[in-house]
Amino acid sequence: MSTTSQKHRDFVGEPMGDKSVMALSGIGEILGKKLEQQGFDKAFVVLGQFLLLKKDSDMFTEWLKDASGANSRQAGSCAQCLREWCDAFL
Amino acid sequence: MSLKEKSDEELSKLLSEYGIKHGPIVDSTRKLYEKKLEKAMEDAPAEVPSPDKTYYREEAEEVTYITYHHSPVRQEVHSDVVKRRGNAEPDQEEEPVQYTEPPVQITKRTANHSAAPRFKEPARESGCSVWKVIRLLLLLAVLAAAVYYAYCRVVNNEEAPSGIQ
Repeated sequence: MSTTSQKHRDFVGEPMGDKSVMALSGIGEILGKKLEQQGFDKAFVVLGQFLLLKKDSDMFTEWLKDASGANSRQAGSCAQCLREWCDAFL
Repeated sequence: MSLKEKSDEELSKLLSEYGIKHGPIVDSTRKLYEKKLEKAMEDAPAEVPSPDKTYYREEAEEVTYITYHHSPVRQEVHSDVVKRRGNAEPDQEEEPVQYTEPPVQITKRTANHSAAPRFKEPARESGCSVWKVIRLLLLLAVLAAAVYYAYCRVVNNEEAPSGIQ
């Protein structure tokens, strides 16, 4: 838990509701904008993609890198964030 | 390119054939799966149990170019070849095209020639790599025999020095 950021803990600690995509761990303004351009304007849409990929972190990180230009660390962070959120709430 | 033309179901089947776990193929996931498939096809096309592939083992590079399955892969190799030769001219495209055609008509000889710069090809076909392994083993056996023979001679020489020393 000490390796996760505050952003991660904030996201994973409660239902995401209508949070913006930039609330996801690893997704900042630039990546967030890129995702929004592709229609992933809310965190739950990205969650949808994560679920479509059967919650496979590798697949999801690859997709995220492709879609937003995220690097491995950012994509991994986002995947872990979503995974833990799913574990808690899905 | 043919990957893009395949239906979602066909893509799904191909993914399963390559052992790629996947979810539903929809707009947002399709591109990712196509990319994964292309990479898998590059790495190990011979693993695909499509009926065309069985010919690989017997007829080496020939049939490779007949099957349209592999046209996306061939095109990638083709562009690799073009790059390797350092020519971006359209004329150069003929060579890789020849590369695809002659193997159909002519036998392995041509294919081997054209396979020289394209060392990717033999590596991909499990049939050829089996022969490589067998040849390697034979080489190793011959080497081992030679070493043993030399050792025996040395041992004999030690027991009864032949007078050279």
